[in-house]
Amino acid sequence: MRVPLAWLNLVHEKSRLVVALAGVAFAVLLVFMNLGFLGALAKSASMFYEYMNAEVFLVSPQTLEVSSTTAFPRERLFQAKGLAGVDRVMPLYLAYLQWRNPETRQSRAAFMFAINPDDPAFLLPIFQDPATIGILNRPDTVLFDLRSRPEYGPKTVGTTTEVSRRTITIGGQYELGGGFAADATVITSDQNFLRLSKIPLNLVNMGLIKLEPGVDADAIAARLREILPKDVVVRTKAEMVANDSDYWIASTSTGFIFGMGVAVSCVVGVVIVYQILYTDISDHMKQYATLKAMGYRSGYLFNVVIQEAIILSVLGYIPGLITAIGLYAFVAQATSNALPVGMDLQRAIGVFILTVAMCIVSALVSVRKVVTAEPVELF
Amino acid sequence: MKMRTPLAWFNLTYKRQRLLTALAGVSFAVVLMFIFRGFENALYDSQLQFLNTFNADIVMVNRIKTNMFIPEKFARRRLYQANAFEGIDAAYPLYTTTANWRNPDTRRIRPLRVIAFNLNDPALLIPEIFSHRSALTMPWTALVDRKSRSEVGTIVPGTVTEVAEKQVRLVGNFSLGTDFTSGNGNVLMSDQNFVRFFSALGPDEDERNLNTVDIGLLKVTPGADVAALVQNLTKQLPIDVLLFSKEDFVKRELNYWKENTNIGFVFSLLTIMSFLVGVIIVYQILYTDVSEHWAEYATLKAMGYSNFFLLRVVVQQSIFMGLLGFVPGFFISFGLYRLTADATGLLMQMNTSRAIGTLIATLIMCLISGSIAVRKVQSTDPAEVFGT
Repeated sequence: MRVPLAWLNLVHEKSRLVVALAGVAFAVLLVFMNLGFLGALAKSASMFYEYMNAEVFLVSPQTLEVSSTTAFPRERLFQAKGLAGVDRVMPLYLAYLQWRNPETRQSRAAFMFAINPDDPAFLLPIFQDPATIGILNRPDTVLFDLRSRPEYGPKTVGTTTEVSRRTITIGGQYELGGGFAADATVITSDQNFLRLSKIPLNLVNMGLIKLEPGVDADAIAARLREILPKDVVVRTKAEMVANDSDYWIASTSTGFIFGMGVAVSCVVGVVIVYQILYTDISDHMKQYATLKAMGYRSGYLFNVVIQEAIILSVLGYIPGLITAIGLYAFVAQATSNALPVGMDLQRAIGVFILTVAMCIVSALVSVRKVVTAEPVELF
Repeated sequence: MKMRTPLAWFNLTYKRQRLLTALAGVSFAVVLMFIFRGFENALYDSQLQFLNTFNADIVMVNRIKTNMFIPEKFARRRLYQANAFEGIDAAYPLYTTTANWRNPDTRRIRPLRVIAFNLNDPALLIPEIFSHRSALTMPWTALVDRKSRSEVGTIVPGTVTEVAEKQVRLVGNFSLGTDFTSGNGNVLMSDQNFVRFFSALGPDEDERNLNTVDIGLLKVTPGADVAALVQNLTKQLPIDVLLFSKEDFVKRELNYWKENTNIGFVFSLLTIMSFLVGVIIVYQILYTDVSEHWAEYATLKAMGYSNFFLLRVVVQQSIFMGLLGFVPGFFISFGLYRLTADATGLLMQMNTSRAIGTLIATLIMCLISGSIAVRKVQSTDPAEVFGT
């Protein structure tokens, strides 16, 4: 094809092309926003695991995700410790507590992580400071999450308030974020956990297994599944993240809602592109028929329309992507990072493929008219 | 100036297939707006459907239970105290907790909300519950919400499975629906069974008995002043409980979710974007139409028709498109609402005011596109057209 017919057809009317591209770009943008929100929810639900200093996790089979765990016997962790390649096992205790805002006297649920102060369970910067162990060892003292919502009151070190009828002092600060399950989190020692929750420490909510450097986590997990009784489930970090994200997306309605948003946005995209191609084809019906009369095959005309669709999808995708990146930043800022929306390569490529597919579907629907163009009829 | 020829209408219906495409475009823009608004409303409405079934005029909760998500209880004797007040007819304790349910088909665990009360108390405004009263008095029995999510599995009466790791036999179903607090669905049982299931749990879980109540429901005698009673009870009872009229309690719950979630922000953003997509679609259609009939518009102008006349034609055309596109859009959305409600248990409600709101948005959308598209017509210079 020496003459770029598809391209010339499209740029023939500049302002129509611009409107067409705006339409495609908005459809792309809508798809991006829906996926962005969905991704943000999944991410914030499982973000916490990135800060855990462990490769393999033990949980009870009754545990659904991090905020709704059931305890399992601590012995399972000690059993795991016996395996070659395991460096350290660390129990993690989890519970909700009612944090009283010292200014308004209103209580709100906060999520408590409790560890043995000597365990390097968290990868947070604060734990690199040896003084933190001393702070955690103090009775009725907690570290408070700076990403907690403002409704919890002052987060400064030294603040005292009431939790479970005990006076609790904030001894330090860290940044983690509670994701879906909690508006605030605190980290404290296992002894303080016992004081606050009255739950015995031989029942563990989550077992953290730190491996020696270079040991394959999957192999250890497989071995643990063989040797441990059925009252615990063994998961690698990646499996844990996948489990929590799946839980929030599937068992809350968010997956369905944003999935439907994507589907309807795609249909709108198809309709927009179809409209453009249809108008173009009916405007140039005579020319297409002439081409046919000159001996060009239907396949050639088919190619032209498909090319037009692909050009539209590529040109529409680019502004859509750029606007989406801008809107992502806006959303993250407007929700003060409660919705950590961000672009990743996988999504960008996925949506690109979807856009091309959407345009091709429209092309296939509208191309029939060209292929059936009958020169005789026109002349 | 009276318009004798319905020019806008003829313009629009001149090419049937193009009209259909145009209307499909408008309809889908309408569908987009409807579903995003619908999701937003459903997420809010769903939080309230359980509260709305309370058979109460006044609701009593623990002071720190600022929303249904917080599992704080209060002493049952507060209800007895309240019952002694003049104007209070009855007091019903309502017990709720979250429990693990085993899907009888896949054997997987799912969290459900358990609702329990004395079967002699008409605590909830769901009559079908009470037709199962005698079956529910049997130990280890329960009803399951038929609007529970599909992860709950088989819920036909007679199914035997587990709640909180104890065997349960289903004796019937009722209709309520899911919300953020309920997990995957609802289970309803008698207060006696509630004690059977939840009084002996592991040391890491909160054991339950009937002395602490999650929600207290107070009925007033006919004609009593609810607001005055709430005020009086608040003053007289210890400060560990809060009292609300049912209406205020529902409002408080709604406000909590509005202020503490990003639902409003997320879906408003998506709705605005859908609106813009609609503007672009309609503009595209009108622009094509205007550029095709450019010569005709120029002729009209040469004949002495004013710019205002041409504006009216284009705007009329856009309004026709809005109205005609709205109707299929409305029906498609209605279908999608049903689909969503069935799949998720969310309360997807289409009511008149929401439909009218979207219709107005659609018309504004068409007016904006119309007034942009008309600029090309108004700048029409007859001389130019005929010169070439």
